[in-house]
Amino acid sequence: MRIDFDKISHSFGKNRVLHQISLEIPSGSILGLLGENGAGKSTLMNLLGGLLRVQEGRILLDGAPVVLRSPANSIAHGIAFIHQELNPINDLCVYENIFLGNELHNRLGILRRDAMRKEAETLLASLGMTFSADTMMRELDAGHKQIVEIARALHNNARVLIMDEPTTSLTEQEVSCLFQVVRTLSEKGVTIIFISHKLNEVKELCHDYAVLRNGTLVEQGKMADKEVADLSEAIVGHELSHWQKAKDTVQSQEILRAEGLGRLPDFQDIHFTVHKGEILGFTGLLGDGRSEIFRCVFGDIPRHDGKLFLNGRPFHARKTADAIRNGIAYVPSNRKENAIVPDLSILTNGTLATLRKHRRFGLLQRKSQLEEFLQKAGEFHTKYADVEDLITSLSGGNQQKVVLTRWLNTHPQLLILDNPTQGVDIGARQEIYDIIQDIAAAGVAVVVLSGDGQEITRLCQRAVVLYHGRLAGELSGDNLNEQNIMALATGAIKTTS
Amino acid sequence: MKKALHWFCKQWSEKPLFSTTLTLAAMIILQTCALGTGYANFGEWGNAFVVNWINVLRNNATVGIIALGMTYVIVSGGIDLAVGSTLTMLGAFFLLLIDDKGILASCHLSGWTAFAVAFALVTLGGAILGEINGIFIAHGGIPAFIVTLGTMKIFRSVTQFFMQKRSLAVPDELLNFSSLQFGKFMLMPILYWLLAAVLLHLLYRKTIFGNHVVAIGSNGKAAKLAGIRVQAVTRRIYVLMGILVGFASIVQVCRIGSMDYANAGSGYEMDAIAAVIVGGTRMSGGRGSIVGTMLGILIIGVMNNLLNLWGVPPFLREAFKGVIVIVAVLFQKKEATA
Repeated sequence: MRIDFDKISHSFGKNRVLHQISLEIPSGSILGLLGENGAGKSTLMNLLGGLLRVQEGRILLDGAPVVLRSPANSIAHGIAFIHQELNPINDLCVYENIFLGNELHNRLGILRRDAMRKEAETLLASLGMTFSADTMMRELDAGHKQIVEIARALHNNARVLIMDEPTTSLTEQEVSCLFQVVRTLSEKGVTIIFISHKLNEVKELCHDYAVLRNGTLVEQGKMADKEVADLSEAIVGHELSHWQKAKDTVQSQEILRAEGLGRLPDFQDIHFTVHKGEILGFTGLLGDGRSEIFRCVFGDIPRHDGKLFLNGRPFHARKTADAIRNGIAYVPSNRKENAIVPDLSILTNGTLATLRKHRRFGLLQRKSQLEEFLQKAGEFHTKYADVEDLITSLSGGNQQKVVLTRWLNTHPQLLILDNPTQGVDIGARQEIYDIIQDIAAAGVAVVVLSGDGQEITRLCQRAVVLYHGRLAGELSGDNLNEQNIMALATGAIKTTS
Repeated sequence: MKKALHWFCKQWSEKPLFSTTLTLAAMIILQTCALGTGYANFGEWGNAFVVNWINVLRNNATVGIIALGMTYVIVSGGIDLAVGSTLTMLGAFFLLLIDDKGILASCHLSGWTAFAVAFALVTLGGAILGEINGIFIAHGGIPAFIVTLGTMKIFRSVTQFFMQKRSLAVPDELLNFSSLQFGKFMLMPILYWLLAAVLLHLLYRKTIFGNHVVAIGSNGKAAKLAGIRVQAVTRRIYVLMGILVGFASIVQVCRIGSMDYANAGSGYEMDAIAAVIVGGTRMSGGRGSIVGTMLGILIIGVMNNLLNLWGVPPFLREAFKGVIVIVAVLFQKKEATA
């Protein structure tokens, strides 16, 4: 099916996120839709998927203008949207998920389970899958859930398939299987819109590309004419400056050592050491268990096997307060859910971990609270209008700085950062990296957990790569690059260097 | 031995039906023992056993029917606190229709024809009251807890206001709907309950509607993205609840003959919710079963009976109900964090 976006504009309140986008996608082509976070890719796709109503402009399918009111409406037009955060119904089984919203039934509304099961099995087999259609969705890993989503799209006779970062949690093998499926679909005339930050993949798979920047379509054309480096330049809008590799501030004093750390089923047999002033990276694919390891260290998960040593002495945090008392600070991932208190002010959020210090006769002393906050806010160049504004009034990067302020004021000896630049735009990202490096230079041992290979290579002196909860390898120096991380994280090779 | 214990623990924490069935079995054994041994022969004991069981089942039939609907509501991620008040309002409506000097009598309808008309109107009324809840929950974006807390107060208060000077009764002939005797047993309420259970079990397991209820309770966003009309399904769930309450109301009124508008059905919402939870349905939605709810009702019913047989004072019995609900959710919590 041919898709035409005709002068699409869109605003959220005063914030204009799409400007006059006109884009034609021919039938059966695979379009790589590129852009930074916040460039407007999701908004554009949400319009096509019926999650947002078109405000200005038109969408035409095979030349005919359509009004897409709801996801159901888009599905009826043959548009399938596979979202980045997978959305399976974990309490239903595989075939029920495939047929969700489009069940086979007789005239009385009674489900024809056998027919659905059989059709689902055929569909899965055609995708090269061997698991049973009766498997409960919760038992599948992320890669297989992705395949089920695709099966669902195929089953709905999708003529347009939108895939939002489908490969982030897949192994190399699963990716090549997925690409095969996508190519077959494209040959059958299905139009595919492929959103990904992995430019090598985009280059390999897509016929066409379109680049969005700040809500404007800045470039489009044939993929064959473009090199990967040109693409990344088009996305950022200027040549990527070469990153200053982190200064090596590591000291010899050991802060945390793990021996045979394990907690089934999440991870097992983990060894590592972090030194004073070091930035140690932990990386891997989704489900590698890195967050769980450090939730154990921090006492959020109270029980584990194996031993931990803090400053050479055995250490076991039974609750998070134990860890904090011992100078461990933990900045969790998903800032929105785990780190900020959205109904409290910037000031209170920034001093939440140290409120005890600012008490006198049980009353909070605003002056000392403010003093503490302002000092770090100055160091970090946090931008805000008033400390009494809600934390949610800040951008992602500034929110993260407030969260960092909160933890640094506890004067930790070990700082654990889980996904520190999640939802932080590219400009603020470098600032956060600088802050992290300054923290390490001041003698704090820093552990960075991230699934972003680039982030790890830029930030860390040494990185531990995990594969399904086990150590896949450790990289440092020149060996610490994205290719090696990917090879270890997908289980392709097993080495230590 | 250790392996068996491990297997047992795994089954207990992972399969709600496993733990509920065992709990119920244990209760039934205790209950059977509590019947005592002071009987002349086996026949007499058997008689006492059957009479006791029929009492247990019949006493729980009305709440049982409501709990079936409550299973749908809770699996979808909602709650309905208004069922007790809805029962009273619909009971009053039924009496207004069916009384010897009631509305239908003035339309020259009487006997079972009048009953059939009243039955249809009362279930329709139930559907409307359910739709009111459903519209506010699905379209108004108000949490089900708040909406039904409000309608709980409204329905009862309005009923009491309009019924304060009236004393109505079901004509004797129509009492047979619930009170028809088989031998010396009053079985009808039990049969209605079982019939409703079978139908609702099929609706839950075999139809699209049942699947969609699970889907919106398990992951509402995903359900919406899959093209399910979440709001329409939500409304239908509360309509179904209302219809069942209407049915339960008629069964109850025909058993007693009249209604105490201040107290009838009060506390039913908590009893129904307790039964659903004890039956292994997840409070946050997405998982549950009609079979589990039936077992849950029986666990609470048999426990009540057991406490009665043991001579535990009535005022203390509610405390046991409270304990068993908390213990049931304790097991659930384990499943959620694991």
